[in-house]
Amino acid sequence: MAEQQQRPLPAADELTRPFWDAARQHRLVVQQCSACGYFNHPPRTVCDACQSQTLAFVPVSGKGTVYTFSVMFQQNIAGFEQQVPYVNLLVELDEQPRLFMVANLPGSEREQVKIGGRVEVYFEDVNEEISLPMFRVIAE
Amino acid sequence: MWSGKGKTAIVGVGYSQLTRHSQKPLGLLAIDACQAAMADAGVAPEQIDGLTTYPELPALGAGNRDGEDIVSVMYILNQLPLASDIRWYAQIEAGMIASPVIEAVHALLAGACDYVLVWRALHQPRGRYGAWSSTRASGEAQFVAPYGATSIFQWHAMQWQRYMHKYGATREHLATFVTNSRRNANLNPRAFFYTTPMTHDDYLASRWIAEPLCLFDCDIPVEGCVALVLTTAARARDLRNPPAYIAGYGQNTSRRRTLFHYALDDYIACGQSLATKLWASSGLGPRDMDAAQLYDGFSPSTLYWLEAAGFCGAGEAWSFIQDGRIALEGELPVNTFGGSLSEGRLHGMGHIAEAVFQVTGRAEQRQISGAAAVCAIDGSPMLRGSGLVVTKEA
Ligand SMILES: [Zn+2]
Repeated sequence: MAEQQQRPLPAADELTRPFWDAARQHRLVVQQCSACGYFNHPPRTVCDACQSQTLAFVPVSGKGTVYTFSVMFQQNIAGFEQQVPYVNLLVELDEQPRLFMVANLPGSEREQVKIGGRVEVYFEDVNEEISLPMFRVIAE
Repeated sequence: MWSGKGKTAIVGVGYSQLTRHSQKPLGLLAIDACQAAMADAGVAPEQIDGLTTYPELPALGAGNRDGEDIVSVMYILNQLPLASDIRWYAQIEAGMIASPVIEAVHALLAGACDYVLVWRALHQPRGRYGAWSSTRASGEAQFVAPYGATSIFQWHAMQWQRYMHKYGATREHLATFVTNSRRNANLNPRAFFYTTPMTHDDYLASRWIAEPLCLFDCDIPVEGCVALVLTTAARARDLRNPPAYIAGYGQNTSRRRTLFHYALDDYIACGQSLATKLWASSGLGPRDMDAAQLYDGFSPSTLYWLEAAGFCGAGEAWSFIQDGRIALEGELPVNTFGGSLSEGRLHGMGHIAEAVFQVTGRAEQRQISGAAAVCAIDGSPMLRGSGLVVTKEA
């Protein structure tokens, strides 16, 4: 294979397709329980809080706080060889405590990342079908 | 307190050769370890009438060839001249390394068998351990793999960063743990780093894996096997070695499912759930332990276990481990054999073996004086774990 391998891309399934469809339209949606209002991410078949099976995707603000982060140095994942070192973020979305999303940060922002720092979503169009939610640093 | 306390014992320990990549198939390494454990116990193969293992291959998407990648109950049953009529066996698919030991204890207490062989054989798949090569990310991986987050060490790196931020710990504090482990490994002839000392500066100079974790925060992937022989306390008294009595145990599996979407508090809470059962069943507490063998697949785990098991308060482990407190001659020796960071990734079997050696006075140069009760706990502590307390007296 002469071409460089692509990063792993999401294989949407019945459960997760609404998330990726919305991302394609540059909208961030998160699965919310219709019974108790709890947000579940990654999507679940039963609510983590109340075990209701009635769950729907709803738009969220796309704003959050850096819960933690690390900088990956190991060339461990095909498609990321050219990107090391890169930042992995664990973002706590504003909608709910412990509502976490994993993301990357633009390479130029590596020096700005800090726990408790504010971030907002943006979307990276990877190909015709997939847009990945990413996060970037915003002013407090 | 648990009615089974002190009624069963570990009476034999056997190691195969431990190497980074063995020329010998894993199944033969397992046989070596099992034979060594039986010989150590002074139990003949035909006396073994119970078998159990936790065979999981710790790699994503790899094959499962019995005798090469894993070593199942059926493999050992077919390869060793054990009792012609095996009375009990179990292959554990959930839990962690102490889990098959716990099942062996249950079987012995129930009278289902008399002598149990327990083994854990680990294969190191070729290529980079835990590497991700697929271009597709399905299931919950679709929310992490596209971001280049697939490895357990990345997950640990993120939570250790949070820990440092929350409690004011630094890498220098973690260096104390890692160098103490190395100092202990320098007294363990089985350890990879038996002859190599490590200073704080050596630790701080090592390369990043996922910042803030460096090379020396990671255990060493190895191929090999550790086996144990268990029997009832009554039978144990007639055998060659002093028994290491099983005083109590705990297990835990988190009900949460994803690898990355966790808070640091979840780590500790999951470990506390295991420790609560461990102390309640044994009727002993952290202050009764003469040493602690605490899982160190990645170095921060041991600090979380110190807090979760109540050896110190929440957020205190980084300061607790300073000033020689966890050294061999300290008030709570930790990972007296060097841990997985030095002996290799046996997923906690090395920790159990060392607990046995310490309470039976067989730890040689590493022996701590008056070791009457030692715990061995495996797990992250997130997701799943299991632990034992072994004692010198029943
Ligand atoms: Zn609900």
